[in-house]
Amino acid sequence: MKLSKNFTNPLAANNPVIVQILGICSALAVTVKLEPALVMGLSVTFVTAFSNLIMSLLRNGLPSRIRIIVQLVVIATLVIVVDQFLRAYMYDVSKQLSVYVGLIITNCIVMGRVEAFALGNKPWDSFVDGVANGIGYALILVIVAFFRELFGSGTLFGFDVLARFGYTNNALMLFPPMALIIIGCIIWVHRSINKDLQEK
Amino acid sequence: MAINKNSNVYIIIYTVVMVVIVGTLLATLATWLKPTQDANVLNEQKVSIMKAFGEADANFDEVVTMGRITAGEFVAVEEAADVQAVFALLGNRKALGEATDELPIFKFEKDGVAKYVLPIVGKGLWGDIWGYVSLYVVDGKLTISGIVMDHAGETPGLGAEIASAGVQGSFADKVLYNEAGEFAVRMQKGGAQNEHQVDAITGGTKTCDGVNAMLETSISKYKSFLDTLTVAVAEDTTAEEQPAEEPVEEANVESVNVEEE
Repeated sequence: MKLSKNFTNPLAANNPVIVQILGICSALAVTVKLEPALVMGLSVTFVTAFSNLIMSLLRNGLPSRIRIIVQLVVIATLVIVVDQFLRAYMYDVSKQLSVYVGLIITNCIVMGRVEAFALGNKPWDSFVDGVANGIGYALILVIVAFFRELFGSGTLFGFDVLARFGYTNNALMLFPPMALIIIGCIIWVHRSINKDLQEK
Repeated sequence: MAINKNSNVYIIIYTVVMVVIVGTLLATLATWLKPTQDANVLNEQKVSIMKAFGEADANFDEVVTMGRITAGEFVAVEEAADVQAVFALLGNRKALGEATDELPIFKFEKDGVAKYVLPIVGKGLWGDIWGYVSLYVVDGKLTISGIVMDHAGETPGLGAEIASAGVQGSFADKVLYNEAGEFAVRMQKGGAQNEHQVDAITGGTKTCDGVNAMLETSISKYKSFLDTLTVAVAEDTTAEEQPAEEPVEEANVESVNVEEE
């Protein structure tokens, strides 16, 4: 019961991007096309899941004075692992993501979950929490990228969709502010469904 | 005795062990993946060169002759070590920009027309710009057949447009040198006005200036070789376009036949 709530909570009611407003930087930068957005989402999921798992395993022997440094080393290692694999096996996507893979290290979601959850919970719970938060992030990225690619380039995953209906691409969708506007719209819809999130 | 987790000794041992584990892990991973990553980079260089030739689907290894220009002469590169050195140079933009000898060049022949691809490197507004330009001789004039450009960090939608197919396509059929023998291809603000010029990108003037400088400096290094090219092609044309590889005797017989008719 608790485990399933751990998993579903970050997907909607406590989504890291649209409720906690974390990880916005990369949400703006890598959502021009669906493919890099999806890869970015999966990379972050991998990093949050395993940094949570590893830090949860280490939590009892961890000297609290160097807690943050150890977290950074673990997260940075995982990010480098992801980056190296992308360069080797998904070269084109890694070129599109460029510095943003490395910047996962600074993504507040990752360190936030380690601090807030993994250091006080058992490994399996922490792993599930990491996966769920990663997916919650990926979900928003994919939704934003869906609209930006569809209306900005007329394609989805590179396949022509709107172009065949004589649609003229809207270059405005390709600029970063549009990602912020779409995220704003998602937050709006989300809050009108979850009334308890609305401030009085 | 309980271990004091905040003692200096514990912390130092903890960090040392952690760093050794992480260091070993990452070093192993990097060494293990390096060949695949290098292959990706090499493949990208080859694909870019084939795109510049306008033959994106052809296999680089089968159709392209690699060479280096030394003192104005085309010297074919065949040894594996030399091939590697050429690609390493292409991957090192700083060294490539400074090179003055043993300049890399790629030759591709189709339907009796030889095209040459030269690497180009320069500076845009925010960072490096680079690419490959394909040249051939039309009516005795050196002409661009295709160009591929990429950039490190030009402004999206403005300078970054040099990486788009539209801008690159507008370089096709531009003649390199004007009547006075000066390098004349440039991205012209206000629109192309003659057979040498290309429309500049609105809002991307500084990047376009960078492209102009890149083309002139990079191509000028090959000038002595390119000059021999136009002369050679001109001679070929006057010799009734006889394929050079045909045995001389046969060629003679044919020319006699022509006279008889």
